[in-house]
Amino acid sequence: MPIPTLTQSIVITLIQCLLVVIFVFVVVPLTVFAERKVLGYLQQRLGSTRVASGHIGITGWMNRGMWKWGRIPVLSYWRGIPGLVADVLKLILKEDIIPAKADKFVFFIAPALSMVAAVVVFAAVSFVPGVFFTFPTWFPFVGGLPVSGGIADINVGLLWILGVASVGVYGIVLAGWASNSKYPLLGGLRSAAQMVSYEVPLALSLLAPVVLSSSLNFAEMSKVMATGLPFWGLVPQIIGFLLYLTCGFAETNRLPFDMPEAENELVAGFHTEYSGMKFGFFYLAEYINMTVVAALAAGFFLGGPWLLPFGLQGLVNPYLPGFLSWFGEPHAIFFVVKIIFLLFTYIWVRGTIPRYRYDQVMSVAWKYLIPLTLFNLLLAAAVRCFAV
Amino acid sequence: MEHFIQTIGRNMFAIFGVMALGGAAFMIASRSAVHSVLGFLFAMLCIAGCFLSLEAEFLGMAQILVYAGGIVVLFLFVVMLVEMSKKKEKEVFQLQSRYAVVAVLLGAALFLGVFRKVLFGAASPEALVLRPELAQGLNVAGQNAQAVSRGLFADYLLPFEILSVILLVALVGAVVLAKTERV
Repeated sequence: MPIPTLTQSIVITLIQCLLVVIFVFVVVPLTVFAERKVLGYLQQRLGSTRVASGHIGITGWMNRGMWKWGRIPVLSYWRGIPGLVADVLKLILKEDIIPAKADKFVFFIAPALSMVAAVVVFAAVSFVPGVFFTFPTWFPFVGGLPVSGGIADINVGLLWILGVASVGVYGIVLAGWASNSKYPLLGGLRSAAQMVSYEVPLALSLLAPVVLSSSLNFAEMSKVMATGLPFWGLVPQIIGFLLYLTCGFAETNRLPFDMPEAENELVAGFHTEYSGMKFGFFYLAEYINMTVVAALAAGFFLGGPWLLPFGLQGLVNPYLPGFLSWFGEPHAIFFVVKIIFLLFTYIWVRGTIPRYRYDQVMSVAWKYLIPLTLFNLLLAAAVRCFAV
Repeated sequence: MEHFIQTIGRNMFAIFGVMALGGAAFMIASRSAVHSVLGFLFAMLCIAGCFLSLEAEFLGMAQILVYAGGIVVLFLFVVMLVEMSKKKEKEVFQLQSRYAVVAVLLGAALFLGVFRKVLFGAASPEALVLRPELAQGLNVAGQNAQAVSRGLFADYLLPFEILSVILLVALVGAVVLAKTERV
């Protein structure tokens, strides 16, 4: 296998980044669309079925087409999808209003901070262990070189993920402050307190996988969690998964924990004064954060690129007959399917559970989640100590 | 191209260092307290980059997690909550140059006194490790976290525990100070 030069490895890393960005920008709009449709069906209505405004022109033509799709069983679910393009166009083309008394620099940098902190987490996420694919030899400049399944295979990947995620708080706090308006400030402070509180149980719930796998590297952790645990490893994994998912919901400010934008109290929370693509960045960052939390939950608890969740793969693999061996190996497609399922779970929960009150949100974090995560950590340590 | 990138890679520490100094200068020079906090955040992230360029990945990540993610957020909280008028802000943050110069000179003198040997003396022939047999077979570049934990929980266990007791005392003291007002 040829050893890449420094320039070649940088080019390969850039290609990996591009692939991750493409993945994110395919998944995020589809999640937005799915949110409308799934919420619609959960509430016994149709969700979005057409593009706004029109019997005439191109929108009218599209709307008539989509009306006809309604009679076809599967296609009828996808009727509103051109509306996504309309949404993006609207966000880009809309006038960008900056309040007169706002702090211009901070107002400008806050959405960028949110977005960057959300995307950069993917640097440490490994989609598949080892080599993802190899460039064919005719490919210019990087022909014949392997592309690994994660961008940066750092040995403290988990700390990178937690650290960058904690930087994401700045976007919200600074947006609330820079708007120089009452509601955004209250929303920003609320959400900062919430996110700082929920970071504690989030980190504690991720310590259980660290103890079980004795590593901080994402690829190594997901491998051990999926295939290398004894039977009793199931218990801390399942409890840890539920705790992590709860904290993840709070950390991404989704229902039932969406305090920052509780619209009946705070108009729209920290992004009340934002419009146009600056608002679009916050919107995108929220959905990318959801994808990140889903990716981590899938990687650490649902077996990552292996098929079966909660370490069942390691228990099943010795008994797997030869013709099914494809299911015993890691594939990126399993990982992506799990991420998509967890994104669906987000919407499912949003359609099912009403919002907590603010004091309830805080007491859930400090009185219930932190003791439970500590207990789970103890369980993980016991499994590690006695059952291996 | 290859040569150029290698040169950049070798000088990563200097680049991040200069950027960190720039962030610190912005922190001191800016007129608004929130801008100062932003400059401080930038400096902290650049120091994490310095650690990364020295292959101290664990320290770099801990820098981001603790300073950028924890302490600076608390700074921001305080700055945002203590809302000051422009005049008061000017009195507090911009008319203290005389004291600041004295403080900086004092700090520089202390720093030089402590680190004189490190900066100007001869380099130590081997790293300071109390129990070198514990570090055997440990690839420090590849197993950062393990190396640091060896240091904290084996070599320097007693100082580490004393340090955490001091932090606990500070915490209890803060609670007591905050509580007395209401009683």
